[in-house]
This record gives sequence, C-alpha cells and structure tokens, in this order.
Amino acid sequence: MPAQQSIFLTGATGFLGRETLTRLLAADPRLRAFVLVRDVGRWSQLERECGHGRVIPVQGDLCTDGLGLPPDVRARIANEVTTIVHLAANTTFSSPLDHARAVNTLGTRHVLEIAGDCASAAHVAYVSTAFVAGRRTGVIAEDGHSASAGWVNAYEQSKYEAEQLVKEHASSWVILRPSTVVCDDVGGQVTQMNAVHRALNLYRQGLVAMMPGVTGSTVDAVTTSYVADGIALLAMRDDAVGKTVHLCAGEGALRLDELLDITYARWATDPVWRNRGIVRPAITDLRTYALFERTIEEIADASLKRIARALSHFVPQLALPKVFDTTNAEALLGRTAPPVRDFWLPMLDHMLATQSAASSASSLARVA
Amino acid sequence: MITSTGSCGISAIAYALPEHRRSVRELDALGQLESDPAMLEQFGFGHVYVAEEETPYSLALAAATTLLRENAVSPASIDTLLYCGTPSVAFAPAGSASDASREIASTRRFQYPATRLQYDLALECASALAIDQLACTSLFSAVRIARALIETGEARRVLCVSAEFFPECAGREAIYNCTSDAACAVLIDDSAERNRILASAHVTKGYYWEGDARRNEIVASYFPTAKHVIAETLRRAEWRPEDVTWILPHNISIRSWEILLGLTGIARERLWCRNIARVGHTLAGDNFINLRDALEEGSVRPGDRLLLFSYGYGAHWTALALEA
Repeated sequence: MPAQQSIFLTGATGFLGRETLTRLLAADPRLRAFVLVRDVGRWSQLERECGHGRVIPVQGDLCTDGLGLPPDVRARIANEVTTIVHLAANTTFSSPLDHARAVNTLGTRHVLEIAGDCASAAHVAYVSTAFVAGRRTGVIAEDGHSASAGWVNAYEQSKYEAEQLVKEHASSWVILRPSTVVCDDVGGQVTQMNAVHRALNLYRQGLVAMMPGVTGSTVDAVTTSYVADGIALLAMRDDAVGKTVHLCAGEGALRLDELLDITYARWATDPVWRNRGIVRPAITDLRTYALFERTIEEIADASLKRIARALSHFVPQLALPKVFDTTNAEALLGRTAPPVRDFWLPMLDHMLATQSAASSASSLARVA
Repeated sequence: MITSTGSCGISAIAYALPEHRRSVRELDALGQLESDPAMLEQFGFGHVYVAEEETPYSLALAAATTLLRENAVSPASIDTLLYCGTPSVAFAPAGSASDASREIASTRRFQYPATRLQYDLALECASALAIDQLACTSLFSAVRIARALIETGEARRVLCVSAEFFPECAGREAIYNCTSDAACAVLIDDSAERNRILASAHVTKGYYWEGDARRNEIVASYFPTAKHVIAETLRRAEWRPEDVTWILPHNISIRSWEILLGLTGIARERLWCRNIARVGHTLAGDNFINLRDALEEGSVRPGDRLLLFSYGYGAHWTALALEA
C-alpha cells in the first residue's frame, strides 16, 4: 500500500482551485490536502462543497514571508507535504506590474520557500498561463520561452517570472499553462465571469468599436473542467516531472472573425437587439487600435475611457496570432481539449439566460 | 443598405463661403468652442468661415448662380432642383436664427427656400424638392436621389444645393470638429463627361436618433459602420482599397480619418485633406467642395478613382465611388 500523500494547495477558494481539489481528493481516497486560505470563515463555507474531511485549511497570505504561516503549521507542512500545487494568482490584467509581481512572482517565491522546507523536498506543480508567451507569435512550443518579445500586460510578465523561479528553485516541478478559461464545461455554464465575458457584454451593448487582429488571429479558450482535470492528473505524475504542459485548445482555437460572427448571430436572434443596428467590432492592426485608444483618452467621457482601458490590457493579444502547441498535454492526458467551437455558443446562451434572469429579477424588484 | 450602379455623373460643382474667416484661436477667445483649441489644431483644424451678414439662402443662391454661370448651364435645362438645408432658418442671418423659428407658427412657414431658389435662378422647367433630417449626409442623399431619377428616366439634369449654418448661439464646434457656414451646388447630368458615379452605399441607424443620450454608442458604432459602408461601396465599384486614388473626406478631425483609413486599408497619402485646416467642417458640403478644389488644383486627374464618405449625426453613413 503506497504511503499516504499530502499536498499543499494554494488558490483553493477560487472556482478552478475548488474543482481541482475535488478531483485530487476523488482520485486518491487517502490523499490529504492542506489548503492556504486568507479567510478561514470563507473557506468553511466552501469546504462543505468539497467535503471529504481530508482538507486542512491553513490561514496565511501569499504575499507574506513564509506565507504568514505560524511556525507549528509550517513545521507540519514541512513534515507531511510531498507535493505543492500552486494555483493562486492575481489574474487581473489591469494590475500594475508591482501589484502583479507581489502576488504572482513574490508569492511563488514564498511558496517555493515552503517547498524547500519539506523533508522530502516537495514536488511543485505550478499553474501558470499559456500567455507567458506574451508578444510572441506563431506556434508556441511548450518548452521555455525567452523574454525578448515582451508582454501585453503585467499579469503575463509576472507569471513568466514566476515560472523562472520555479525552474530555478524547485527540485522537482511541472508547469501547467492553461489558456483563458471561459466556462465550466462544454455545457457552457459560466460560474466565474472574467475579462472575456465583460468584453462580450460590451460588444452586446454596442460599446466596442474595434479589436486588434490580423488575418488568421484565433481565440484560444478552455473550460474549467478540462483545466481542472489536467492539473489533477498531472500535478503528481512522475512522467510529467520537468515538463511544461499547455492546457489549451491548440488547434481547436476558433478564428477571431468566426467567433465574432457566431457571437453576432446569436445575439441577433433577439429582434430588439438586431433593431439597434449594432455591428461587429472592426478588426484592425495594433497601430490603428492604439490611435483609437489614444483618441478615446483625449476626447471621450469617463465611462468610455474605462471601457477602452479595460480592453487594452488583453485585446492586443488578438493581433499577436499564436497557436499553442499541445504535444505534451496530449501525450500525458491522452486527449485534446474540447474545441472552442463546441462550447462558445452554449456559453453565449448561458450568458444571455443569466442576464435575462437578472433583468427579470430587477424588473420584479422595481414592481415590488 | 441601398445601392445602385450606373453612368450619370457630377458635371459641375460650385460653392459659396461667408466673407468672414476666423482661426481656431479666435473662436476660442470668443467662447465659441467647447474643447481645447490646441487639441482641435492637433486634429487638423485651422480656420472656419462664419456668416455675419449672409443667410443660408443667400449663400445657396450664390453657389448655384456661380455653378450656372461658370459652366454656361441654361437654367431651363434643369428639370429638378433638390434643396438641402433647414427651411425654418433659411432666410435668417446667423445671429437671429432663434427669431426665425417663431415664424413656423405663421403662414410664413410655407416660404420655402427650394421654391424661391427655383424662381430666383429662373429654373422654369424644374420641379423642386427638399431634403432634410440627414445632417451632413443630405447632399450625398440629394446626389443619390438625382442619380436614381436620371436612371429611371424621371430626370436628365438635376441641380442639388445645400446650405448649412450654425446659428451664433450654437458655437463653432460639433463633436470635436470646427464648423463653417457654407453652401454648395452640385449638378448631376445623365451625360456627364467626368466624375461618373460608379457606386454608392448608405446606411441609416435609427437607434442613434437620440445622439446626446447615445454618445458612447455612437462613437463605438461610427468606425465599424463606416468601414462597412466604405467596403461595400468599393465592392460595388469593383475596386480594391489600393485602387482608390483619392479619398475626398467630410472635413472632420484628421485623427478620426487616420483611424478609419487604418480600418479600411486605404493609404494615408490618399486622403485629400487640405480643406480641413482651410475651411473646416461645412456639414453637408465638405466632400463636394473638396472635389471642386482638388479638381481645380489639378490633384484629381481624369480616370482617377475617387471615394467620398460622410457621416450624418442622427445617424447615417454614406459613400460614393466616382471615376474622375
């Protein structure tokens, strides 16, 4: 009978973290999990959903030396933990570099210090992002990238820097790089809204004039289910050690123009929306997009400026066409990610249904 | 979207500007601008023409008279007159536009500039029509209607005249553009030797009728819709973006044009934009005033492929493809 394994997990309070934890616990009935939480009260609520009774919350903070763990807790982790799954991150694309680094880079350094404490020199599964590729274009290999191309936002840069720390300081590691998570599974349900959904809502409101892009630009997106499966399956796999794995749609990414058309067609099924004559955002080069952004900064009102700024932190990626190679992922997982086409429309349906329900509730509240 | 292709063309253009001209800095000193004058200069504006003694009608008459005289056009040869402009203020000097609006409540409301122009120009065979509510696209629409009348055999020679003023109380800025008072006359002939109209496209989006309430949505819709209308016009003319010799713009900010050129793939050097600084935005007349000046200075040569595009607040997007 194999020895009981214990993991230390960060980011368990997020939706992806919870899904990952559930899968890890289900895969190994003897597994114990220490989970780093900032707020034990909040965790208690979530724990009921994860269940199992094999989860030990430890209160701490990624941004603090030693994760802010009390010495006894740190000693216990050092004695028992064999694998660290580091998933917590500041995923806000608009964060300034020092804020992003404080959580993503320095936080990873703190996690690595804990890994170094462990008696058995814990294996580190670091959940990064496919977009550490930054401004690089073309086929993006799963192996290391150089920093020379630069990044679109501080999130990408701070995650890249964290990857370097992992490779440098962890005695054993696997780096898992998910693409943008847009819905829970191929059914399209959206539990956690992000910048993609906000951008789609702006498009629906007729507030997006243009998006950067080039011929062949694609949108790579994945489901929480695929990513959580991938992390849970690969975090502790011996044959994944020392590998970087793209948890991405890869060849299943959807062309930007097709994605905008599918989205338009879905929204245009509503005659009220169609009657407004809202058009698909124009696709343009980065220079023209930058000129438009500059003009908005100079002349537009505060709300339009906010919209332009929010988009500016990630939409330039659309003009940097890339295809994420998924060779390692396919070899290790034995499957590819669901193509974006399979869940994009269900995701839009879900967004519309949710908004419709929210709108009805709001109307009822007004009547009441 | 409405479209057509055919063989009639623009055989003559003339325009009239008020006597007084002011710089952006002077307008600012007079409290006639909303934006920083330095920014408006950066957007390409230099001077505008401001009516003091003139009325919209007097400029319309001047432009049309010049057109007939310069081209030796017999007034009797014109079978249709299309007038664009705001009738209620047509006879009022700029400073008294608000007084003129009171006349709407009397039978004086039936004193129309279109019919007076027909009489004053002695267009004895012409029926008169007026076009309104199309903002800066009204002269384009007149040209489109003229072309349709010619192609269906309803007319052979149509005189289109626009006259647009900004009353003194309105200031001299419209959405970051400096405005001039002006009138422009365009003659559409079934047998024009030059400026053959090859294609046109026009989109109206009524959702944006309430411009002030939908300002952000209009900013967002302007560019993709403009790109669409230009692309559609090029497609109907069977041109590629690189085939366009000149874009004759409506005289709005150069920045806005640079963005639109980036979207459409038409090179920046194809934009004939001298009048943005020299004249400013004359509302409906810009593109045709620019065509006249570009022809006169020799920039436009026979066979050149010309694209005219304009936007009318309220909201209309329109374009014409001409072969010079």
